Amino acid sequence: MTGIDAPIDPGLGSPAWGGFDNSRTRGRGAADIRRSFSTAARLGWQMEANWTDPVLFFIYSVAKPLASALILVVMLDVISGGAKPEYRAFVVIGSALWALVIAGIAGLAWSVLEDRERYRMLKYIYVSPSDFLVVLLGRGVARVAVGAMGALITLAVGVLALGVPFDPGVVNWPLLIVVMAIGLTSIVAVGVFMAAVCIQSRQEAWSYPEATAGALFLISGAVFPIAVLPAPLQVVGLLTPFTWWIEGVRQALFAGGLSSIGGDGSLFASVTGHAVPSATELIVALLATGTVATLGSIVAFRASDRRAKDRGLLDQTTGS
Amino acid sequence: MSSPFVFRPTASPQEAANWSRRQILATDLRAVVGRAYPRVTGLFREKSWVFFEIALPFLATSAFVFVYRAVQAPPEYIGFVVLGGAMTAFWLNVIWMMAQQLWWEKSQGNLELYFAAPMNIMSVLFGMAFGGFVMSSARAVVVLVVASTVYGVAFAVDQWLLLIGVFFLTLAALYGLGMVLASLFLMWGREAWHLTQFLVEPVYFVSGLNFPIARLGIVGSLAIALLPLAVGLDAMRQLAFADAAYPLGTPSPEIEALILVAMTVVFLVLARWALRILERLARQEGRLSIRWQ
Repeated sequence: MTGIDAPIDPGLGSPAWGGFDNSRTRGRGAADIRRSFSTAARLGWQMEANWTDPVLFFIYSVAKPLASALILVVMLDVISGGAKPEYRAFVVIGSALWALVIAGIAGLAWSVLEDRERYRMLKYIYVSPSDFLVVLLGRGVARVAVGAMGALITLAVGVLALGVPFDPGVVNWPLLIVVMAIGLTSIVAVGVFMAAVCIQSRQEAWSYPEATAGALFLISGAVFPIAVLPAPLQVVGLLTPFTWWIEGVRQALFAGGLSSIGGDGSLFASVTGHAVPSATELIVALLATGTVATLGSIVAFRASDRRAKDRGLLDQTTGS
Repeated sequence: MSSPFVFRPTASPQEAANWSRRQILATDLRAVVGRAYPRVTGLFREKSWVFFEIALPFLATSAFVFVYRAVQAPPEYIGFVVLGGAMTAFWLNVIWMMAQQLWWEKSQGNLELYFAAPMNIMSVLFGMAFGGFVMSSARAVVVLVVASTVYGVAFAVDQWLLLIGVFFLTLAALYGLGMVLASLFLMWGREAWHLTQFLVEPVYFVSGLNFPIARLGIVGSLAIALLPLAVGLDAMRQLAFADAAYPLGTPSPEIEALILVAMTVVFLVLARWALRILERLARQEGRLSIRWQ
C-alpha cells in the first residue's frame, strides 16, 4: 500500500456533507491551547531529563541551588561564627526560592535559543498551528519543575543539616498557597520577557537570563534585608514582585522571622509606620506588581515577536 | 619575505602536501586569529551584551557585598567579593565558551570543518581562549574598577609583579582546563549542558569565591590542588589584601604560583592528548558529524 492509498484519519478528512469546514482554520480554542501546552511541556521534560542517568540528573539539579545556599551560609559563618542562626534561615530560604526564579526565567529564554540556534526548529514551531507563546510556556514548565525540585531539596537540607528551624504546625498554608501561585506567575512573566529579549539577541544570550536574575537578586531581599540598600534601590525592590513573593513565603513558613522588606531603617517601615508587612499587604502588593509584570511581559513579547518577523530573526543563527 | 600562502607550482601532489615548518606555523596562527575574531568583533556588534554581560553582573556582585554589609563584616571581605566577582567572568567564559564550545560546534555542523581544515585543532582552542579572554576582560575590569570605587575597596599590594604574574597564570591554567573540558564535553555529548550548569555554583563554593577558602578545611585544600580558580583566587586574595586579618592556612602566594604553573602545563598536555584521542575515536566511530547527541 502506498502512502496515497493509506486510509485518511477521520479527523483530517472532509466533513460528512463533503464541503470545507471553516472552523478547522480557526482551531478549537481552549482545547488546542491545552494540547499545545501539554505537548510542549512533555517535550521540554524529555529534552531536559529523560535521556540522562536519573541519579546524575538529580545531582545536577540539586547541586546548583545547594551550593548557592552553602556559599552564603559560609559567608555568614566566617563573620558571625554561627552566632546569627536567624540569618542562616533567612539566606537558606532566599537562595532556595531564588533557584526557582532562575529556573523560571532561564527556562523560557533558553527554549528560544535552543530551538533557534541549536536544533534550528524555531521557524517550524512558529509556523505550526500552535500559539508560539503557549509552546514556550509549556517548554518552560519542565525547567520550573526542575528548579522547584532543587528549591525543595535545598530547603530540606537547610532544615535537616543547617539548623533552619521549621515547624509544619505553624505554617500559614493559605498565605503560602496564594503567594506561591501569584509568585510563580510572576516568575513565568519575567521568563516571557527574557524570551522576548533573547529572540532579538544572538547566541551569547544564553547567559542573559542568569545575569538578569543576578541583578534582581540584589533588590529582591533574597539573601539580605533590603533595608541595607540605598532608598532608591529599595523603591525599585518594592516594585518587584519577587520581593513580595519571597517575603510572603518567609512569613508563611517562618512567622516572626527576619523580614526582608521591613525592619529598622527600612523604607517600608518609614512609609507605613509598621515594621513588617501584614499578610494582606503582601498579597495586595504581590498581586499589583505581579499583574504589571505579567501585562508588561506580554506586551514586550508581542512587540518582540512582530520585530522578529519583520527582521527575519526567527531562523537567524549566529556563532562566536 | 614572501607569503607562505602564495600558490607555487610543485612537481607532484606529494610535494605540495609537504608543508614547510613556516607554512604550518603561519596556518596555525591564522587559525588562532580567525577563531578569536568573531568573539572580539562580536563585542562591538551586539549592543545588548554591554548591558547583560557587564552592567548586570556588577549588580549580582553587589548583592554579595550587601550580604557582608548586612552582617557588618570587616571591609576587606567586601574586597574579596569584588575580586571574586571579577574572576567569575573568566570562569563563566571558560565553561560556557570553551568547555561547551566543541560540542556546540558539532551541533552546529562546524566541527567536521575544523577537523577537515589543514591546521592543528589546538589552534582553534587557542583562538577561542584568546577571544574569550578579551570578552571576559571587559566584564572583569568593569566589575573590579566600578565595584572597588563604589564600595570603597582598599587594596594593599606589596608584590605587584607577583600579583600580575599570578593573575596571568590563573588565566593560563583556567583556559588550559577549558581546553581539556572541551574535549571531554564533546565526548559526553548532551551531558555537557548539565555539566556546564554543575560547574558554576558548586565550583564557586569549593573555590571560596567570596570567603577565605581555608574555612572549607579539607575541601578547600583539595580545591587548591585541583581547581585553578580556587588556587588563583586565594593567591590573589593574599597578595591584594596583604594587611588583612582573616583565616589563612593555605600555601603562600609563591607556592600557589608554582601550583598554577604545574596546572597550566598539565592541562595543556592533557588537552592535546584528549583532542588526539577524541579525534581518533570520532573518526573511527563516525561521530564527528552526528548532531545533538
